[in-house]
Parts: sequence; structure tokens; C-alpha cells
Amino acid sequence: MRRLAPYAVAISGVIGITAAIALIVSLAPVPGLSVLYLLLVLWLGARWGRGPAIAGSFAAFLLYDFFFVPPVGTFSVRGPGELLELVVLLAVALVTSQLAGSLRRTQARAESLAGESQALYELAAAGLRSSDISEVLSMLSRRATELRGVGRFALVAVDSGQPSGLAGGELTVGELKQAAWSHEHDRAVGVAVRDGAVQTVRTHPGATEPAYLPLTSGVAVIGIDAEEAEPDGLRMLAALIGLADLLLDRRRAALEAERARGLESSDRLKTAILSSLSHELKSPIASLRTGLTALAAPQAGLQPDQRQLLVDLDRQATRLDRMVGDLLALSRLEAGMELDKGPHDFADLVADASRQLRTELAGNQLVVELPEDLPPVEIDEVQAGRVLANLLENAHEWAPPNGAIEVGALPRGDMLEAWVENEGPPIAIADLDHVFDTFWTRRARGSGLGLAICKRVVEAHGGTIRVENRRRGPRFIFTFPLAMVRAVPGS
Amino acid sequence: MSGRVLVVDDEIEMQRALRTGLGYHDFDVHAVGSGEEAIREVAAWRPDVILLDLGLPGMDGFATLKALRPAVRGAVIVVSVMPDEKDKVRALDAGADDYLVKPFGTEELVARIRAVLRRQADVTAGEPIIRSGDLEIDIGRRSVKVNGKLVRLTPTEYELLRFLALHAGKPVTHTTLLRQVWGDYAVGDKYNTRYVVAQIRKKLGDDPANPRYIVNEPGVGYRLET
Repeated sequence: MRRLAPYAVAISGVIGITAAIALIVSLAPVPGLSVLYLLLVLWLGARWGRGPAIAGSFAAFLLYDFFFVPPVGTFSVRGPGELLELVVLLAVALVTSQLAGSLRRTQARAESLAGESQALYELAAAGLRSSDISEVLSMLSRRATELRGVGRFALVAVDSGQPSGLAGGELTVGELKQAAWSHEHDRAVGVAVRDGAVQTVRTHPGATEPAYLPLTSGVAVIGIDAEEAEPDGLRMLAALIGLADLLLDRRRAALEAERARGLESSDRLKTAILSSLSHELKSPIASLRTGLTALAAPQAGLQPDQRQLLVDLDRQATRLDRMVGDLLALSRLEAGMELDKGPHDFADLVADASRQLRTELAGNQLVVELPEDLPPVEIDEVQAGRVLANLLENAHEWAPPNGAIEVGALPRGDMLEAWVENEGPPIAIADLDHVFDTFWTRRARGSGLGLAICKRVVEAHGGTIRVENRRRGPRFIFTFPLAMVRAVPGS
Repeated sequence: MSGRVLVVDDEIEMQRALRTGLGYHDFDVHAVGSGEEAIREVAAWRPDVILLDLGLPGMDGFATLKALRPAVRGAVIVVSVMPDEKDKVRALDAGADDYLVKPFGTEELVARIRAVLRRQADVTAGEPIIRSGDLEIDIGRRSVKVNGKLVRLTPTEYELLRFLALHAGKPVTHTTLLRQVWGDYAVGDKYNTRYVVAQIRKKLGDDPANPRYIVNEPGVGYRLET
């Protein structure tokens, strides 16, 4: 009924104008009154578009021809002039309605775009403001179902393969499974987003199952009626899905941050256990050493052989302390201890380690071969110092008495390759792979921890360590990352 | 008597061993087992050196150090079973004069105690010229000499060396050096101190592997030998 109203207006308008022309003509003969119809056709085209305008044009032509064109009372068209009049009327109707139609569409489009932008803006703003993302997702889902042809819009989060409905009402187990599948394989079912709009892809006509669209951290489950849906609505739907994608991803990031905090606190627990263990193991050794060394003092008035016994016992206590220290250091490294990294000159590390071991290394000739312009390394000074000290100590133990120990380093790519070489016997080929294993040792009294610690520390820095038999003796080769150092301010 | 030493340690065995060992070296030793007792004892007895264990039950070592530091005249040597550089830095920045990792031998402890006592004596005397081997730093004239020969230092290098000299024998943390030499804004950029120390060492002819003057304390800072 509604659709016919414009035509009714067109016909009655034409009749009205015909009557008006008849009235004017009866008073005074005015030529070219047919232009009055043009006004009507223009108005019809602008108001309702092509159909009513054409109907008005024909009606106007027929009535004008019938009542005012001689021979009056017939529909006959005589001569090209009248035909032209008809054509002009029709052309005006077509052109006006075309122009008006496109104008109307542009305006409607602009209004709908403004509406969409406003709705998206409100949702995005809510998403940024609100700490409760599920609440915003529910708003989004409600907004989507307000679109024509969208019967349903649910969002499913997929966390490590587990789907859980977040917004848009309950989902069946089957639907959740289907959503998880779609996410895992990154395959959309029944729907696609192309050129910024949602398109339905039906496998068979009349299918009523929902469609599944995988997102970064979840799935959108959508029920669309392809017949009902409008192009603008489908574009809005695509925009809403884009927003839902962002919000779901933000939710996942928040969850991950929370999980990381949990891990961090479990790290703190590990550290606390290790430091309490270290306290329990080391305190008795501390009392032992302080007591033994107190009594070994000349002032204690003991006999030389008694004092020698105390010195021996203190040496054993020191060994025990060293073992406990190494074991704790190893456990701390295995627990993923945090490194305190910064730029350091490798030469300083070598200097500190050789200073630490100056008594042990006194007999050896230490040859340090470092280029002048060696770039600094990005390391934890204390831990990396341990690597050098352990390797130097190992070299000292295997080098022949007064044998040379060589330390060198060269930059290689973005790493520093360093080595410690001694003139001791080669390592059996079968053992080359085991040298860095925990508790593996070639010596009767070795703990098998020193080189294992080296490996852990080097690897914690992102480097590698290996051993080779060189012509002179075994060479331990390890790498540390080079530091990116900005220029040092003027000093 | 070489001096009064207050031992703050909750292990009875440790207290006894220290009382005996330090007694043989002519120190007058008192021992307490908690931070609260330490604060009372410091006020009543006025020790020259306080040997403070960080792992105390109840009021812990750091809290005790904080409570003691503003009032105490004696030097504080912090003792800990944890070889953690962060704890060392924290203790030194909180005003400790030195630190020692447990277990230690009596000889080593006695050497440390003598060093802090000597330093205290120097500070009280207000000596304007500080010596470290054949290195001589004249604070009044802002001049540095090695073997009597003048060494030219940039203002930054001199400031750093002067600060180490004023605390000769004590480990000075990177953070403290940065704050003292560059000001608060530079805190955190430890490579600055390393670079400047390397320059000073070069000018003084000091070998880092066998240092005569400036000793690196890995993970903590630097110390000027006395």
C-alpha cells in the first residue's frame, strides 16, 4: 500500500495541474503551459525517485495531449513538436529522479556512516576506559544483533585451545567445539570478511547453523540471514568484528600479564628457598672455619703438629664451602636466576679473574692476547667473572708446572669469541662432549661443578661454550654478546 | 687492647669462635644475638667496630644498620653468608664501612678490622694528603703524584679519585661514585665509572690484573688500596 502512495500522488498531482491549466486557458490563451507539469515531475523525481516521476510524466503527457492538443479529446500525436514534448518530459523525469536518487543515497549513506562511526567510537571508548572487557564485549554483541538480518552475535575466547563463551548468550557444546576448531585451523565457516564487509558463504540453501569467523584470540559466532541483511549493516558488522578482535586480544594480553606475575612470584619463592638453604648449609661451615682459624693462631699456644692439623681441617672446611657454594650457584642458575647485565670490558674481566687467582697462577705464565680496540661485552660481571675464574683454575690444574696459560678474544659478528688454553694433556675424544656435564670430572678430587657452571652462565648470556684439542693442549672457547654502547659523555 | 669489637650474630658457636679468635689478637669482644640488643649495647658500651650479621632473627641486619648508622661512632663491618652483590651494595650504600662474606678465616677478619680502625684514625686526624703506596693525593692543592711526579687528570678523573681517596680502603659502590662525580641524573650508567677508572689507571700506570692503587670489587664498585 505504502509503495503505491507516491504513484497516487503523481496521478492526482497531474490531474490537479491539468485542471489548473484548463482554468488558466479558459480565462486567457497562454502558450507553453505544459512546463507546469515539469515542476511536478521534478518534485516527484526528487521526492520519490524514478518510478513515480515516470508515471507522472506519462500521465501528464496523456492528459495534456487529450485535453489541450488539437484535436482535443483524442490521444493522437501530430507532428514531431508534440513528440519532442513527450520525450522532454520523460527525460526530465529520468534525469531528475536519477540525480535526486543518488543524492538521497549519498545522504542516507553519510547518515548511516555517521551512526556507525558514533557506535564504533562509543564501543571503542568503552573498551579503553573499562577494565571489564567482558562488559564491553556484551555491549558490542548487543549492538551487532540490532543490525538487520543479524540474529545472533556471540564471542568465544580461545585460551590454549580451550574455548569459553564471553558474550552474546549461551553456546552449545557443539558450537564451542566448532569455534575451537575454527580457531585452531584459522578457518572461517559460512562467512568471510571481504573489502570491509561481512559476506555470507552458504554451503547449501536454507542452512540455519551459525557462521564461525576466527579472530586473533577467539572466534565470532554469527547468525546472519543473507536475505534480510543490508550492505551497510554487513559493513558495520565487519567493523564490529574488527573491534571485537582487538578487545579479545587485549583481554588475552591482560591474562598473560597476570600469569607472568604468577610465575614471577614462584621465582621469588625459589630464590627464597635457595637463600634459606644456603644459610642453613653455610652457617655451620662459617662457625667451623672461624673456630679452626682462631685456634691455629700462634697466640693459642698449640704445638706445631696440632696447628698443622687445624690448618688441614680448615682447608677441608674451605673445600666443603666451595662445593656448597658451587652447588648453590648451579641451582640458582638452573632456577633461572636473573642476570645483572651491563657493558663491560673483557680485559677487566680477565684482570679481575687473574687477580682473584694470583696465588694459584703465580707459577704459570699467563699470556693475555686481547686486541686494543676490543668492543665491550654485555654481561653480568660477577657471573661472567666466575666463568673466567673457573676456566683459569681448570687450566692451572691441567697445565704442567710453570706451563703457559693463554687467554685471548676476538669479536665475531655480534659476539665476542674468547678462549682459555693450557699446555696440558689433550682430552679424550669420547670425553669432549661430557666435559661440561654436571658432576663429570677427570680428577679424583674434582667436584665436576666448575665447568658445568661455566656452561650454564655462558648459555644464560645467550652464548656457547666448547672445548677443542689444539696442538699445544685443550682450548676452551666461549662466546658472550657484544654490548651496544653509546659514546661516553666527555670526561 | 687493640679496640672494642661488638659481635652481632645469632649463632652461639660463631659468637664463641669470634670471642676466642679476636681475643687472641688483643681485641675486647662483646657478643649479642639480635638487632635490638645491638642497639642497646652500642649505646651503653660504645664499641670501635661492630661486626653485624645480616641474617638476624627478628629485626634484620639492614634494619639494625639503619637504626645504628646515624648515631654510631664505630665502624660497621657487615657479615653475610649470602655472597650476593646486591646485598653488599645495599649495605655499603646504607653506611656500612666494609663487608665480609661468611665463612672467613680469623686472619682475614682481623686484617679488615685493623683497616677500618686505621681509616677511622685518619679521618679523625683530617689528613689533607692521602697516600696509597707511592700514589699521593693532596686534597688541599688538588694535585696527584706518583713517585713524586705530577699526574695530570681531567676534573672528572680527579673528582672520582678524590672520592675514592677520602674513603681509602673502603669499597665505594658504582651508584655512590656516579652520584658524587656526575650528580643524581647519571645514576645507573655504570659504564661511565668503568671508563673513567680505566683512564685514571692508564695515567697512574696501574695494571688492573695486578692493581697497586684502584681495586675492582666485581658487582659492587671500586676501592683505593691503603
